[in-house]
Amino acid sequence: MTLAGNPAGRFLSRVGAIAWKEILHIRRDPRTLLLALAMPVAMLLLFGYGVSFDVDRIPLAISDQDRTEASRRLAQAFTENHEFEPVGGADADAADTVFRRRRATAILVVPRGYETDLARGGPARAQLLLDAADPVTANQVLAKADAIALFESRRMASVAGLSAAPPLQVKVSARYNPEARSAVFIVPGLAAYLMAVSAVLLTALTVAGEWERGSMEQLFASPVSRLEIVLGKLLPYLALGLIQLLLVLGVGTNVFDVPVMGSPLLVILAGLLFLAGMLGQGLLISVVAKNQLVATQAGALSSLLPSLLLSGMLVPIDNMPAPLRLLSRIVPARYMVDALRQILLKGNGFARVWPDLLAMLIFAVVIVALATKRFTRRIA
Amino acid sequence: MSAPPDRRPPRAWIQYAAVVRKEVLQTLRDRRVMFMLLFAPFLQTLVLGFAVDFDVDRVPTVVADQDRSQESREHLRRVLADGTLRFAGGADSAEEGAGALDRGEAAAVLVIPPRFGSDLAAGRTAEVQVVLDGTDPNRSNVAAGAVSRYFGEEGLRRAGDRARAAGVSPPARIEIVPRLFYNPSLKSAPYIVPGIAAMLLVVVTTLVTAMGLAREREQGTLEQVAVTPIPAGVLLAAKMTPFVFIGFFDVLLLVTAGTWVFGVPLRGNLAVMALATLLYLLSTLGVGLLISTISSNQQQAFLGGFLFTLPAMLLSGIMTPIDSMPRWMQWLTYANPLRYFQEIARANLLKGGSFADLWPNLLALALFGASIFGLAAARFRKRPG
Repeated sequence: MTLAGNPAGRFLSRVGAIAWKEILHIRRDPRTLLLALAMPVAMLLLFGYGVSFDVDRIPLAISDQDRTEASRRLAQAFTENHEFEPVGGADADAADTVFRRRRATAILVVPRGYETDLARGGPARAQLLLDAADPVTANQVLAKADAIALFESRRMASVAGLSAAPPLQVKVSARYNPEARSAVFIVPGLAAYLMAVSAVLLTALTVAGEWERGSMEQLFASPVSRLEIVLGKLLPYLALGLIQLLLVLGVGTNVFDVPVMGSPLLVILAGLLFLAGMLGQGLLISVVAKNQLVATQAGALSSLLPSLLLSGMLVPIDNMPAPLRLLSRIVPARYMVDALRQILLKGNGFARVWPDLLAMLIFAVVIVALATKRFTRRIA
Repeated sequence: MSAPPDRRPPRAWIQYAAVVRKEVLQTLRDRRVMFMLLFAPFLQTLVLGFAVDFDVDRVPTVVADQDRSQESREHLRRVLADGTLRFAGGADSAEEGAGALDRGEAAAVLVIPPRFGSDLAAGRTAEVQVVLDGTDPNRSNVAAGAVSRYFGEEGLRRAGDRARAAGVSPPARIEIVPRLFYNPSLKSAPYIVPGIAAMLLVVVTTLVTAMGLAREREQGTLEQVAVTPIPAGVLLAAKMTPFVFIGFFDVLLLVTAGTWVFGVPLRGNLAVMALATLLYLLSTLGVGLLISTISSNQQQAFLGGFLFTLPAMLLSGIMTPIDSMPRWMQWLTYANPLRYFQEIARANLLKGGSFADLWPNLLALALFGASIFGLAAARFRKRPG
């Protein structure tokens, strides 16, 4: 009945011993611990405010060649809602220089005869020269300019007393994120991203460090099996990662008002599966690299950029070419980002997110098995 | 005739060449490091260039046509025709369509209410309802914009018809005619690829310098070099030289891949790009060096490098526009060398920006680089080993 007499008990006590050793490591390096916990929160605050696609106060230069009441009224319509910010006059011929020096993103050119055209009832045209180098901003500028032109046309129609009731109206409502705030979209993605990066790199570095310093050989000299070493090393970091996740989500919900519509327990389950995979990936990298410099570069290459770009966190996966869509399927962050959005924003339950959970589970099992297999008791 | 030192190259030069040779040998010997420095950036450029595409089109849309008239069918056909929205199924009511949003099968629901056609014909206000999955604000804005634009223009046309029917002159219309400079097809890749250059260089140079030096300090080899008669300044210059070459090589690779694969135009003078790369490397290497002087092992050096790199990348305007940041953060980006380099790279390659256009950015990079590198070198000199 003693713990030592039972093979499962022996297994657990050995895993526990390795885990305890790892916890002591973490505890004796308070700087790393502080960084592991404070860094994701600080980054979330920074990126939650800074990473956004919503552009307003777009710098707009105005070239008013008409110089009439109507042309001034149009210029005012562009700037009165602070969607565009006037940065002074500009010559349409000098557009290239204005854009190269980033003095303005767009130039509104109101040609001579604009007011006369309006009075005549014919279409009055104004030109919008646009620095389209950045397509995201350019699309928003185009949409805003269209909306302003439509609004102005309608306003003039109603001033003329033409149609009190507009013949057509569009009522738009958005679910899950009614105010269309970028933070609601970005924060769940950021949470997954920050966890991916810190989990992969933390394990990759600590284990590669043990190879470099030779303390891994000492572990091999003890009667502990490969799987026991791997599990023992992963468990403390799993706990650390879970604390990170809760911290980050706590900040996300309190500071950025990200809703929690679904079950927090489901979030924790998803987090555990995701972390297990990420930690396994870090372990595999360190086992293969055995050198901190190579391990970080490989870690950065395999987690920093794919988790940022192939996870759907910032860039929609639907737009990618087929080979990359396929590649994104082996990026666990993709499933975590989706699961978090489903649970937090849409309030979906297990019935909807199980495919995500299953995918993360498969990734975790495969990667930990691979790491264990490569973890041969070879002495360098 | 009486100046003997001129016959031999100066001693500093010999020392410099010796350390450069050692560094090159050391780098060449580790195949994995070579791979990381030269091939990986190329691979990343390809993947990222293809992956980053913010265009919103073919938004899956469920249509609930409760009117089922000739009129409503015609409008639905036309609003779906421009490619922004894609028909993803029909529904009987807005609620049923919203279920498709919950299940993630659609991102928009378009509802044409009953009596839509007869309201229009009778001159009453006919209302179209759009329910969006607002999770991704960029996507929902574009989808809402497409519907509003279509029905807005349709409404104006109808108002004109009504006015004419009533014998009044129709209301005047304002049209905004856009003219797109530099990237008229609004593709993401030509804009993103030059930005990636800024990102990759910082990963390759800052992190590798910080960790490489921390490693030498850990292993004690830096101390061995420090006891030789080589002055710290020469040692430093020689250690940085291979990275300058690697950095230039990576930029060259990137520009080549960018033009051939992603259609990045080369409108500007490449000498501006070369000067910018040199000044930028001064900054990124300086930051790496500074981090290595304040950390005692590789792990700390990595964390330090990471703490600089990640915010510097995400808050540089490479992925999301600087204009969309809060004001205080926009000011902070002036202290970010990545901001200047990505602006120069984009303005130079895409817009043909010349030295006369870009000198403020170049000056800022030079100032930042000189001060951070100077600070790091001073610290390194005090404690090389």
